[in-house]
Amino acid sequence: MAIAVPYLGHGIGLRTQHFPRLWEGTARVDWFEAITENFMIPGGRPLAALEKARAAAPLVLHGVSLSLGSTDPVNTAYLEELHALIQRFEPAWVSDHLCWGSVGGHYAHDLLPLPYSEEAITVAVENIRTVQDTLGRQILIENVSSYLTYTHSTMPEWEFIAEIAQQADCGILLDVNNIYVSAFNHQFDPVAYIHHIPPARVGQIHLAGHSDKGTYLFDTHDGPVIDPVWDLYRLAVRHCGRVSTLVEWDDQIPEFEVVRAEAERARELEAEELERSYARSA
Amino acid sequence: MLALRDLQSRFFDSLARQPGAGPASFDPTFIECVESRGPLAASERIDIYAQMYFARLLDVLQGDFSRVAHLLGCDRFHTLAADYLAQHPSTHPSLRHLGQGFPAFLRERADIADLPFLSDLAELEWARLTVFDAPDSVPLRIEHLQSIAPEQWPTLRLQTIPAFHVTRHAWPVHELWQAAEDEAREESAPQPAPTVLRVWREGVSVYHARIDTPELVAFERILAGEPFAVVCAALESVLSAEEAAATIGSLLLRWIEDGILAQLPE
Ligand SMILES: [Fe+2]
Repeated sequence: MAIAVPYLGHGIGLRTQHFPRLWEGTARVDWFEAITENFMIPGGRPLAALEKARAAAPLVLHGVSLSLGSTDPVNTAYLEELHALIQRFEPAWVSDHLCWGSVGGHYAHDLLPLPYSEEAITVAVENIRTVQDTLGRQILIENVSSYLTYTHSTMPEWEFIAEIAQQADCGILLDVNNIYVSAFNHQFDPVAYIHHIPPARVGQIHLAGHSDKGTYLFDTHDGPVIDPVWDLYRLAVRHCGRVSTLVEWDDQIPEFEVVRAEAERARELEAEELERSYARSA
Repeated sequence: MLALRDLQSRFFDSLARQPGAGPASFDPTFIECVESRGPLAASERIDIYAQMYFARLLDVLQGDFSRVAHLLGCDRFHTLAADYLAQHPSTHPSLRHLGQGFPAFLRERADIADLPFLSDLAELEWARLTVFDAPDSVPLRIEHLQSIAPEQWPTLRLQTIPAFHVTRHAWPVHELWQAAEDEAREESAPQPAPTVLRVWREGVSVYHARIDTPELVAFERILAGEPFAVVCAALESVLSAEEAAATIGSLLLRWIEDGILAQLPE
């Protein structure tokens, strides 16, 4: 089994700072990824901007609050709103994170890590199935950056995400920056991580910058992608082939062109890697 | 080994019970579930999340209530926000709703008695946010109004657009709102004054303006769904018949200009 999503090229995250470019009609990029929750509103400027973005390029909805690993049931009101957004904006696909962010009806508004355990697999798989059944489509789940691990864990993270994707029959949004950050923070091998990801499940790749806090790396999305993460991207392309790729930049957001230049760099590296692998196979 | 639900509850409590309080507020059983690996101990690892939690939510409140935050200054706003979040953890997947209870929370606080208008100002900031992303609509155009036959006017039911609110305050919050914007303002203690504002969105821009008694009286009837004859009668209860007729004419023109009347149903 695999994930059936189109190849969109190299996009960037849709951010408020770049809304004026949408009105000017100068926000040219392969595709946009919009943070779902920012548009779960009745009307006004953000939704008008999303209309513009959708008219300019293909769109993907990327959620942060689905809380797929929570022991709370999936929030049905949220799912209804998500469904309405999907109907209106027809995203190429929908994604959220393999993590949890709510319990007892309270939201932390953060991507909190799960223990890599059989119990967490069961919980996440059931929630993902509920979401997919309700929406009538497969979703992509993203690996998160983390700063702690649990004594409960019985397997490496890559095995955890691959097993969930397999059991729930969903796709994977592979964030190579998150792999790099978590690998540093928990001292595992990021190369081994990527090698263990089933390529046919990977529907999208995320790239972003992070901050070095000395004793740990922090997933800040506030700067350019660093070279070791570009190297991991090359590896991911060699491993997965051609995958829609998106640059996330969420803090200290620069000019549209600066973010787009990162997407262009990804395009070049992808082309280089694909050429090499064609040359090898020829 | 804790069941996942218990683990998640204890993790959440460690973040949210006393936001910003640091490792002393973390659940000891939860700390034991976290690996101390490399240079960081378990509680230091939890603290990364605890600090992120508070910083993110504080940032949202600061953005939603930027003028209140400005008047309070960093430290006092920080303290109030921490207490607010401890009492009102987010119950919605979107951060959009986080500050909903903040104006009422401020009203109950004795330690901001030196800024007695703060809660009123917070209400205005919240009303502006509510209007900012209220449902879209097509405003009523003057041509449409002109095409209404005279005999239809008495039973005509005008409606405001969804992105419209009337707010009532004990303080002149529109002046305070402007003053908080103005860095070089004169420090003069504001005086209480009953104030009614209308807050609305035109296109994608949000506005507010003070309204006088006749305009308020008219809005009250319109918002209650009463026909135009009742709106006019209400105006005549506060103005002479002659003044009322002139006033309703100029109010209609201003409302149309500001785009706050909704298109009439077919
Ligand atoms: Fe990501």
